[in-house]
Amino acid sequence: MDEKRPLILIVDDVVMNRTLLSDILSDKYNIIEAQNGNEALLLLREKTSEISLVLLDMVMPEKDGIEVLAIMNKNGWINEIPVIMISGETAHSLVEGAYMLGVTDFIGRPFDEMVLKNRVNNTIRLYKKQKSLSDLVLNQIYEKTRNNSMMVTMLSHIVEFRNGESGMHVLHINTITEMLLRELLRRCKRNNITKYNINKNDIGVICTASSMHDIGKITIPDEILNKPGRLTKEEFEIMKEHTINCAQMLNAVPVGKDEPLMKYAYEICRWHHERWDGNGYPDGLKGDEIPIAAQIVSIADVYDALTSERCYKKAFSHEKALEMIHNNECGVFNPLLIECFDAIADKLVISLQAFDWSKQADKDFFYIADAMMNHSKHPIYNQVFRQFIDERKKSHFYESMLNGILFEYSYTPGVIKLSSKASKKLGLPRTIIDDYQPNNGEQSQASIENLEKIKKILRRHTVPKDRPTLIKQVFNIDGKSTPCNVKVLHIWTKGQNEAPVLTSMYGHIDISQ
Amino acid sequence: MTLSEFYSSLSESLDEVLERLRMESRIVKYLGLFLSDPSFTELKEAFASNDAQTAFRAAHTLKGVAANLGLNKLSSSSSELTEDLRPGAFTANSPALLEKVELDYNAAVEGIKQLEQ
Repeated sequence: MDEKRPLILIVDDVVMNRTLLSDILSDKYNIIEAQNGNEALLLLREKTSEISLVLLDMVMPEKDGIEVLAIMNKNGWINEIPVIMISGETAHSLVEGAYMLGVTDFIGRPFDEMVLKNRVNNTIRLYKKQKSLSDLVLNQIYEKTRNNSMMVTMLSHIVEFRNGESGMHVLHINTITEMLLRELLRRCKRNNITKYNINKNDIGVICTASSMHDIGKITIPDEILNKPGRLTKEEFEIMKEHTINCAQMLNAVPVGKDEPLMKYAYEICRWHHERWDGNGYPDGLKGDEIPIAAQIVSIADVYDALTSERCYKKAFSHEKALEMIHNNECGVFNPLLIECFDAIADKLVISLQAFDWSKQADKDFFYIADAMMNHSKHPIYNQVFRQFIDERKKSHFYESMLNGILFEYSYTPGVIKLSSKASKKLGLPRTIIDDYQPNNGEQSQASIENLEKIKKILRRHTVPKDRPTLIKQVFNIDGKSTPCNVKVLHIWTKGQNEAPVLTSMYGHIDISQ
Repeated sequence: MTLSEFYSSLSESLDEVLERLRMESRIVKYLGLFLSDPSFTELKEAFASNDAQTAFRAAHTLKGVAANLGLNKLSSSSSELTEDLRPGAFTANSPALLEKVELDYNAAVEGIKQLEQ
């Protein structure tokens, strides 16, 4: 099998040491070298998903091996890239410290060629096996979840079509349910409301379950289900039974009793016609006796019914539908959910109009990725890197279409990166490390000034928020002093129970003026 | 002078190095590279400019490089100097320890030069 040679990063400040290691290993591996900690971090950041192993020296100028390890821990790289430390260091506490920071192995100097080769080989093999296993699991879960949600969508469409409604109803319920849920979670978090006992990871499964809200209608005879005009009192009583009938059907399903999907589907099917004041059906539940998933779907259902055309009525406008919901014309809802609905109302109109099947597939993916990344015991990183790589390709493409130049800055390690166009226009290298000293012979005065101005933008005080900031700054471009609008976006990362930390910044310089 | 004679002249053992690094040609190549390794010069300069941290790093490097090449005397005198400098300041012992390192270093360099002829 023609396999790619694994890539090893050798980090050592001494040329001789790097050359010796590379000599010993280059027959089976591809080698890249870094001569200090900062260089190593740059390469790790660039090639996170390519590097199979790091051979790390401990004592180095710039950043030493321990500092490199600390940052590899902070960025989660240590979970995916094995590190073997090679050092003449014998101090027990330092060696132990290296193990505590996650090195796979420690090789002392002088080392034996045979031992080194075998440890390198074994480590790479083990990690590769582990990685392919976790890829396999990830793909399986993804496939399974995707197939499941596709099945659910197919089945609920079949029910929809029998109702003579367009298949859009299920999709609308899905979208509204998701948006309401997210808004509710935000508000619960802000106001410390814990009674609903749901979290981010439930969103996907509740949305899938919401697709099934009307499957009980397959038990309703055609002449009632598709009757043009109003139902008689008796007919309506039969119609109402779709809730109970569905609950009975789900109860009779022999598998999945303890699955969250089954639990939510049951709640939603049975109780999505209950009302906050107890005037709904079938059980006349009141207030929060009605499970929250069912409460949400009931508002979604009412809104979509109002704004859609049916055989017995015309479609109401969005505004009219909102007004009717506020006036309790379709029954009384949880005031908190009405607040949520108001908050998302404007966005909702746009989302429903712009519904897109391909986006739906994306959404499924992000639910799964989200749940896996947030898994407390076994977080999985590979997929994230792949996304990261795709994002980079995307941004390269966008930049080539753009009438401006881009720069970005990461805080650990402190590195400014310029797009190729930016590097050309500003007369600066594409990658600039914090302690970079411009070489007066090579760099023009104009480019040194440009660098100072970018650094000035980096130093500006900022607070955690998700909006870009507009700054006016004059740059020297093509030898001309050019006033530019600069837009920057700060990325704050928030760990569990920690204050947000500024991790990176993205900037766009409009040079068109 | 043969490689084996070179190691004998320093009272070191070629067999030990050969066991670890496998090839005589490789050992000769790295002994040659050792001549241009800047660690020792850096060590001297750090002493001259009173920079104990850089001196520590240079001694540490010298210790590792020498050990890999089987220059065990040099490695052990460098190791003593390394431990002396680890707290980050020169001590009363430092100059004497440096002298010992210099002696071992010069002996090794002298031998390598002869080997290359």
